[in-house]
Amino acid sequence: MDFAFSKDQEEFRSSLRRFLTEKAPLSSVRAASETDLGYDPLVWKQMSEQLGLPGLHIAEEHGGSGTGLLEPAVVLEETGRALSSSPYLAGLFASLAIQRLGSPELQADLLPRIASGEAVVTLATIEVASPTGTRGLATTAVSRGDQVTLTGRKTLVEHGHSADVLLVSAVGADAPTGDARLYVVQGDAAGLTRTRQHALDLTRPVAEVVLDGTPAVALGDPAPGALDELVDLFCALLASEMVGGTEACLTMAVAYAKDRMQFNRPIGSFQAIKHKCAEMLIALDGARAAAQYAVMVADGGSAELSTVGPLAKAEASEAFTFAANWTIQVLGGIGFTWEQDAHLYFRRAWADSGLLGGPAAQRARLADRIGL
Amino acid sequence: MDITYPPEAEAFRERVRAFLGENLPAGWTGLGALAEEEREQFRESWRRTLAEHQMLAVSWPKEYGGAGLSLVEQVVLAEEFARAGAPQGSENDGFGIGMLGNTLIHLGTEEQKKHYLPRILSGEQRWCQGYSEPDAGSDLAGIRTSAVLDGDEWVINGQKTWTSSGHLADHIFVLARTDPSAAKHKGITFLLVPMDQPGVEVRPIVNMAGYALFNEVFFTDARTASHEVVGGVNDGWRTAMALLGFERGVGATTDAIRFRGDLDRLVALARERGLTEDPRIRERLAWCHSRVEVMRYRGLISLSRLLNGGRPGPEASISKVIWSEFAQAYTELAIEILGPEALAPTGQATGGLLQMPEAGTENSPLSWVETFMSARAGTIYAGSSQIQRNIIGEQLLGLPKEPRLDAGPFRDLAGSRG
Repeated sequence: MDFAFSKDQEEFRSSLRRFLTEKAPLSSVRAASETDLGYDPLVWKQMSEQLGLPGLHIAEEHGGSGTGLLEPAVVLEETGRALSSSPYLAGLFASLAIQRLGSPELQADLLPRIASGEAVVTLATIEVASPTGTRGLATTAVSRGDQVTLTGRKTLVEHGHSADVLLVSAVGADAPTGDARLYVVQGDAAGLTRTRQHALDLTRPVAEVVLDGTPAVALGDPAPGALDELVDLFCALLASEMVGGTEACLTMAVAYAKDRMQFNRPIGSFQAIKHKCAEMLIALDGARAAAQYAVMVADGGSAELSTVGPLAKAEASEAFTFAANWTIQVLGGIGFTWEQDAHLYFRRAWADSGLLGGPAAQRARLADRIGL
Repeated sequence: MDITYPPEAEAFRERVRAFLGENLPAGWTGLGALAEEEREQFRESWRRTLAEHQMLAVSWPKEYGGAGLSLVEQVVLAEEFARAGAPQGSENDGFGIGMLGNTLIHLGTEEQKKHYLPRILSGEQRWCQGYSEPDAGSDLAGIRTSAVLDGDEWVINGQKTWTSSGHLADHIFVLARTDPSAAKHKGITFLLVPMDQPGVEVRPIVNMAGYALFNEVFFTDARTASHEVVGGVNDGWRTAMALLGFERGVGATTDAIRFRGDLDRLVALARERGLTEDPRIRERLAWCHSRVEVMRYRGLISLSRLLNGGRPGPEASISKVIWSEFAQAYTELAIEILGPEALAPTGQATGGLLQMPEAGTENSPLSWVETFMSARAGTIYAGSSQIQRNIIGEQLLGLPKEPRLDAGPFRDLAGSRG
């Protein structure tokens, strides 16, 4: 038994943390968020080429390092802690979809470009009325011979305004209640309109994507429920990212509580503050355990992911939003300012929590799956 | 990342399963299925069986009557006993074996180990814990019970309270003030005291659920021999804290198993009333499932640390907060599920419980109301939720302590003499 990240994985974490602290501090993440791209392409180039992050979990034959999912989970904890605005998460989700559902030809085409960082590929699945992007979709696919065209409107597409390739979920126009499939759409395809959205989360650029008879290629022929399984996997991975953000909040709040003097004593000596910090750690500790278990299960390919994915997502969402809320409160007036970084975590916390469905939606899925 | 148990632990699991299969009565579901008057009799005979098979203190060294195994085997045993609904010992064993015995093994003299450990295991001695006092609860180091040497005996005067299972005990370990001129943590001695003497009086306290499970213990010129000290004279705070470490023990690794069974009962309760269809109840039940799973994952992390040479530390405070607050939350949900049935509860009573009903108890409204009432105690005893948050804040997060108003000699503090 060794229910922990390995020594090598922890060393990898340390070096990545050093890299992000040095190359992508929050000041630079803020500055990049105001550019058209929304992230710093030079830092992303280093993350791709020097650190090989986007290809970690991609097979060696496709230009990756062939690790399991634990290394990406470590990356997400660290990019979550640093509020990285890079397209790492977008590429990870897209590549996992391609690995699981893509035809050999599409895998050979897309995975090497993701692994090298040459192409940004992202999922365009979510609709306003479909938070998971797999059910109740309004986006339709029409087939004529070999040609498929898509029509619909997607929201919250990560890096959608700048991505080279999009993976769009849609249902057949002739069978709108059937299972959704994913389709590959090129960024410069006809009938594609992409607009960066004014987002709650400033450190993760998202776009609205409108498809109007846009040509597309089916990613593969998914088994029933395959997209839902992908969502469970994404939930597990998002939980890891949220654990990193939760820990960053706690670190910020505790540092301030030790330093800030009122009534001639550090405010962290008051139980009103101390106990809230303790509750943040309690929440973080539980969320970390759940996220760690979830990525272990995902890495092992166990069916248990169908319960543990939503469970971990809900736990991590509550921990992160709780920690972000209370970090602002511990910091007091300064925590409510634009200048201070607490609101960046608050924004990420609530955005991540809502992504793919909030805690109530996750627990509803969990309830279905534990046979309640 | 790997959560499989080591082969020797799995081999031990097979032994435990075989033992339970051979020794539990056929069709056993738990003590709760027995009539109350039969329970004590079963407990006693079962305890003798456990002692004979070295199943009471598996992690104690063999020379003191243990099985010489590790904490992991202790966890495996707890898991299998919980699954089978089998008691792990008598009510006093938590104090005698879990707390005092482990403390003696680490801090006792050779004579103390040889004298006490076999008697604790055989059941000849039943122990209880003399820590809290009416004016020393969360501030445990503020105890006033005094011990003064008179020749080769300590003479003890004062009062302990909240002494669980004290009415069943014949020995008590006592924190006593032996140097009032020292600072409050520095003048305390950990004493072993026989209760079968005129100077010791036990009076039961009835808890809010109506059961007499804990007691007041009064000392009036009670006596114990001068050598009955664990750790040094005036160094009892260190002993008390070491014992606290054993009290925490490996609980984190088994919390999930204890709660899983009761959560299954809760789901059954909701299902019988058609409420698993209600989205609000479904979400809360899914939340309960999540909390118990988080206990399981955290338990695996603790167990993994133990296996890799770690010891339970202040992170046990997190476990304590999680389980005790969960115990209140899920029993409150039970009250909501029961609706009017909770307000005039019927069916089998628990017979008194510390955390949850004995396995095999009928899934009755009354059993839930009693569990619900009893859950209020969990966030108070063994370090209240507020004290745990202080420990988490100060020891795990490094936040500064409150300014102290109790430095200096104990006897100069307000209220030190009552």
